[in-house]
Amino acid sequence: MAALLGLLFFQGTTKPEDKATSSHLAFSPDMPANIKAIVDQKCYGCHNAESKNEKGKAKLDWDAFEASKKAKQMATKGKIAEALEAGEMPPAKFLENKPEGKLTEAELATLLEWSAGKKKSN
Amino acid sequence: MKGWQYLLSGIVLIALVIQLVPGELPSTEINNPGDLIESGIVSIEVAGLLRTSCYDCHSNETKFPWYSYVAPFSWLVAKDVKDARKELNFSVWQDYDMVEKLKKLDDISIEVREGEMPMPIYTAIHTSAKLSDAQRQLIVQWAEDAMDIVVEEDEESGPEEG
Repeated sequence: MAALLGLLFFQGTTKPEDKATSSHLAFSPDMPANIKAIVDQKCYGCHNAESKNEKGKAKLDWDAFEASKKAKQMATKGKIAEALEAGEMPPAKFLENKPEGKLTEAELATLLEWSAGKKKSN
Repeated sequence: MKGWQYLLSGIVLIALVIQLVPGELPSTEINNPGDLIESGIVSIEVAGLLRTSCYDCHSNETKFPWYSYVAPFSWLVAKDVKDARKELNFSVWQDYDMVEKLKKLDDISIEVREGEMPMPIYTAIHTSAKLSDAQRQLIVQWAEDAMDIVVEEDEESGPEEG
């Protein structure tokens, strides 16, 4: 219950920022700051151009993503949404050694809203 | 009978009995109004490559060779074609939404570039489906260009939501 209330509070406070950035996103390949913050903390460690995790790098290289064209970014976002919806990321094996790497419910909702264009459920 | 004769009759018997295991090849359909090539997004050259190297598995127009009716090959063919169509079916291309199309085109460019597709187990038997480096490059370039076209078409038809 407390977690639920906390989530509502989080949504309430971040909504104005989301609105401002989503219209900006439609015309610009730049990522919203709130997405970038989550990605830097929870995804970028494996999904970057210098990553030693070959599979992670091959599936999604965040440095290449930011530099890629619009259609490619949209395709990648679709794949990100798919992996997140299936609960595949971050991988369960990775979380065994690094449980703090798990996405919080609010982070997951934010990433899904961005990648799948989904509205958060209230 | 000698030992090897028993063994041989055993193998023949097993080969006959497994033919009775029920299993069906995915059905085929020649008339596909939602087909990718029908949609006009593919040049004649690339359409030819897709037809010879991809359509046997990734469309409803599968041409099953004779051995695909014989177990145990039939099981393998049935499973591969079923999985392939689920992943990407050019015959129902128009039914995919924009993001689905983009994801599939992106996958095509990656898998064809890296030689993952067509599957080596398939081209080993269907040698005419083998792609040269130049042919691979043609498909990759087409897929990447088509992604831009898909986005443009979607924008022209108006934003659906958001």
